Parts: sequence; structure tokens; C-alpha cells
Amino acid sequence: MCSKKYFINKIVCLFILGFVFFSCKHGESEYHGVIDKIESESKDYHGTSLSSEPYFDGVKLIEITEGEHTFLVPERKSAINMFSCTECHTKPLAQMQDGSNKKAHWDIKLVHANQNTMNCITCHNPDNMDDLRGLTGNQIDFNNSYNLCSQCHSKQFEDWKGGAHGKRIGGWAPPRASMTCVNCHNPHEPHFESRWPARFNTQKVIERE
Amino acid sequence: MSNKSKKWISLNLGRKKEVPKASCGCGKTSGGCGSNSVEDQITVDEFNKGAIDASIGDERLKDGFDQVFDVKMSRRSAFKKLTASLLIGAGAVSTSCSVVAGDDAKEKAQIDWEEQFKGNYKLMNDDEKKATVDRLMRSYELRTGKKISMSSKNAEENVLYGYAFNISKCQGYMDCVNACVEENNQDRNSQMQYIRIHEMKDGKGFNFNEADDNYYHEVPAEGHFYMGTQCFHCDNPPCVEVCPVQATWREEDGLVVVDYDWCVGCRYCMAACPYDGRRFNWSKPEVPEEEINHNQHYLGNRMRKKGVMEKCTFCVQRSRAGKNPACVEACPTGARIFGNLLDPNSTIRWVLENKKVFRLKEDLGTEPKFWYFMD
Repeated sequence: MCSKKYFINKIVCLFILGFVFFSCKHGESEYHGVIDKIESESKDYHGTSLSSEPYFDGVKLIEITEGEHTFLVPERKSAINMFSCTECHTKPLAQMQDGSNKKAHWDIKLVHANQNTMNCITCHNPDNMDDLRGLTGNQIDFNNSYNLCSQCHSKQFEDWKGGAHGKRIGGWAPPRASMTCVNCHNPHEPHFESRWPARFNTQKVIERE
Repeated sequence: MSNKSKKWISLNLGRKKEVPKASCGCGKTSGGCGSNSVEDQITVDEFNKGAIDASIGDERLKDGFDQVFDVKMSRRSAFKKLTASLLIGAGAVSTSCSVVAGDDAKEKAQIDWEEQFKGNYKLMNDDEKKATVDRLMRSYELRTGKKISMSSKNAEENVLYGYAFNISKCQGYMDCVNACVEENNQDRNSQMQYIRIHEMKDGKGFNFNEADDNYYHEVPAEGHFYMGTQCFHCDNPPCVEVCPVQATWREEDGLVVVDYDWCVGCRYCMAACPYDGRRFNWSKPEVPEEEINHNQHYLGNRMRKKGVMEKCTFCVQRSRAGKNPACVEACPTGARIFGNLLDPNSTIRWVLENKKVFRLKEDLGTEPKFWYFMD
């Protein structure tokens, strides 16, 4: 009789313990965290009705495939004022530099790596100015100039392909259109200038005094 | 909208078709005929004077306590007083019913009435949402003569918004703050800002106490890095839990939103937020008319009033249309990445899966959908 009572007590105690431990509120969803939720809910992902296309604003885009990523980038050649280069560069570069011609490209300053590493012909092809030239001498189209940058900046290139580096064109919705290197960085001076912030909150200064 | 499903009462003031026709015998359908309408014949001043006379009568001649205590009160006078105070109340309504007031004033009164007694946006069905948005647009037009477009677009299916912030990219230019203020019609007087950019010393870790979030010097400053905070749209938001009137909630697409018309301004949510993500309107928010963003969403950047909470909504008016929030679009460094967490091919997912990401105060279990990462 006594042991039976003890047994019932034990069960009641266990029940209360269990209630205390398992009834703790842990979010309202069935997932432990948002990562679990993302993983399980994206398994049967079948797209949305939203599209970035209305926000491309007439930017001429071309589709590229790099590794496992396929996305849109702005077409470059039509955005270069002086393209095609051969309209002026009718002769090989060496002949044009003999002093008989007017000086061109005076506004271009090369601040990109040091003189030992880079000069104009590290990227430009002196034999065919309409194309770029890679380190191995292969031709690279102006529209794919990111392939030139990626020769040194391979880490940034990986991030860019995935979408961690650079900016999107249009919105977040597919199809993905991303700016290429030269849309943000001037290839001749690729660093960002320091400048003053766009805004200063004078009210915050007053409030905190 | 069907009247059966309405969750509030409407008066139908100023709706001409519903003016009672059979209530008097003179055949006039509007304006009253004089046989049963007193208000229409006398001016408002006369009416008020009469009403006051009827309600307090000779007590006007008495002073202080005497007004209250030295009163002969019979049943007859008590009823008289009661009727009179009811008449005063009816006077307010009569403005909107009066023939003297213009159609616009009537419509405005009608809108104000329905807005006053509408339900919580969270509980509204799509028709009710559309109706309130239509009313707000019309009300704005009546007040200012200018048109706005206001959306009541619901959360898209298969979407969960997420955000990533690259600490190594941010240069502290604050273009995002600028864009945010302009996009979301924040109060210009108090210079309310949803985004804070914290300038932190290298080698001190994420030390918010020593960080400066209101710097003004050339950036990026030597030996510093920049870290932006705003509403993190937690998946388990503590601010939502504490709201006593359920004026803030988490939408299906993960956005934590506020119904500015349901908020009572208790600021519990502000205290509950561990990330300083919420802002309060201590005064009536003012934005110069020419700077108002006319593309609005009920839960987003529509004009707020004094005494309500507001915060970043990931620009719901933009994100639910497929655009990036204004801060993402404005950032010149590409430090801000926004997208759909449920889309396995989205860039935000690539960041989460391939970069070393972390969130602030993860141990609190708030599950913010705002990740930080470095190059």
C-alpha cells in the first residue's frame, strides 16, 4: 500500500517536472530557429510572382554564366563614350606615340597597383585596342572585363559571382542583374575616395547634451 | 464591402441617398422642411446659446461650488439637462449633416468617422484593407488637394525577407540614412532616423558603448570600421510579444510591422527591443509637402501621427513590389544585401551559406533576420 502511494507520488512529480521543462515557450513556430525554418520551407520553393524586370530602367543587359552562376550584367561597350577604340587607334601604339599626334587620354591617371605590377598594357591590347588582354595574352571582350579583374582579385570575384560583393540592378526579385566591377570601380583608379557623410543629425547632438 | 462582415459601426453621414424621405410631409428630400428639424432653421451660434441655456440655465449666474451644490433639481430639470447635453453632442454630428457644410466637409467627416472606428489592420480582410487605404488616400486628397498612392499589398507567398550587412565594405558615408529618411517620410523636425551607423574603433570589438553613431568628419576615419543597425525583423520578436493592443506583429513574409492607427503609444515595444530598432513620435511628424514620398503602403511609409511608434519596415512599399529597400539601393559600396531567404538561388542565401555570418545578441533567441559578415 505504501509503495503504491510512493509510486503515484513519483509519477505526479515526474509529470510536473516534465510539464515545467517542456512547456517553456520557445517561439510560436514549430522550428527551433529561423535557419531551420529557412531550410525546411525552401525545400519546396517554387518561385514568386514578383520580378525585377520592370526596374531595369532600359539598362542594356547581357546574360553571362560564370561557374554555376548565371545572371545579367550591363552591356559595357555601348556605355564607353569613345568606343570603338580603333576609330582613333588606326596605327599600332608605338607609331602613334611618335609625337606627331595630339595627346589623348590626358585625363586618365593610373592609380592601380604599382608601376612594377601594372601599366596600360597589362590590361589593354596594344595590337588591338578594341579588346582587352589577359595575363597570358588571351583576348578579353570589354563586355567581360570582370574576367580581367578576376586574374588578381580572385576572392572578390568569387564573392561577386555569389552576390556578396557588388550591387544589384533593379530589385531583389529574380532575374538577378548585377553591376560588374567597372560599374562601381574606375579601373584606372579603383579605390573609393574618402568623403564627408551625407547627413549629420543636429537634433541628436542637442538631445544628448 | 459587405455590411455583415464589418467589424466596426458606420454612421453613413452625408450620404445623400440615405437621407430619410418619409420623415416629414412636405415632400422635400433634403435640407428638412421645418416641421421636425430645429437645427436647420437657426444658426450654429444661436443653437449653442440655446443649448447652454437649456443645460445650465440660471446656474450661469452662480459661481464656483454654488454651480454644483446650490441647484434645485427636480425630475423635470434633470431630464431637461440630459436632453440638452445630448443635443450638444448631436450638434457635432449636425455639422456633417448640415446643408450649410459643403460636400467635402461631409465626406471628410464620414471618412474620419469610419477611420475612427475601423478595426485592427491585422484582423481586416482584403476588402476592408482596401477600404481603409482608399479612405486614407481620399482623406489626404481632401485635406491637401494632392494625390498619393497607398498600397495594402499583402505578403507574397514563398517569401521571407532577409538582410546581410558587410562590415568590411561599409565606409560610413550615410547615404543609406539619407535615402531612408526620404523614402519613409520620417519627421524632419526631430530628425528621426531608422538606421544608425556606428563608428567603431579597430581592435575594440563590437563595442556599442564606445562607438559613435553621430560622427561628422571625413570618412572612412583611420583606424575605424562602420556597422549599421536598424530593425532586424526578428523571427521571434520581443516587441510584438509585449504590445498590449497587438498593434505590431510579424507578417507572413517576416516583416515586423506597426498599425499606426492601432498603436496607443505605450512604448513597451521600444523598451523590449534589444537592438534599439524602434522610434517614437514625440511630436507631430512633419515633412514638407514637396519632400513627401507619395508612393506609400499602409504598413510602411504613410504619414504617421503624434504619439505612435514607427520603425524600419524593410521599405514594405518597395520590397513587396520586388524592389530593394531604399538603403540597399542607395549604398554606394554594396555593403547591403537584401533578398528572399526561401529562394535557394538568391544572393542572400549565397551569403548565408558561403560567408562567415553572425547576428547581434544571438543568445537572446530573438532570431533576427539581419546578418553581418566580412569580406
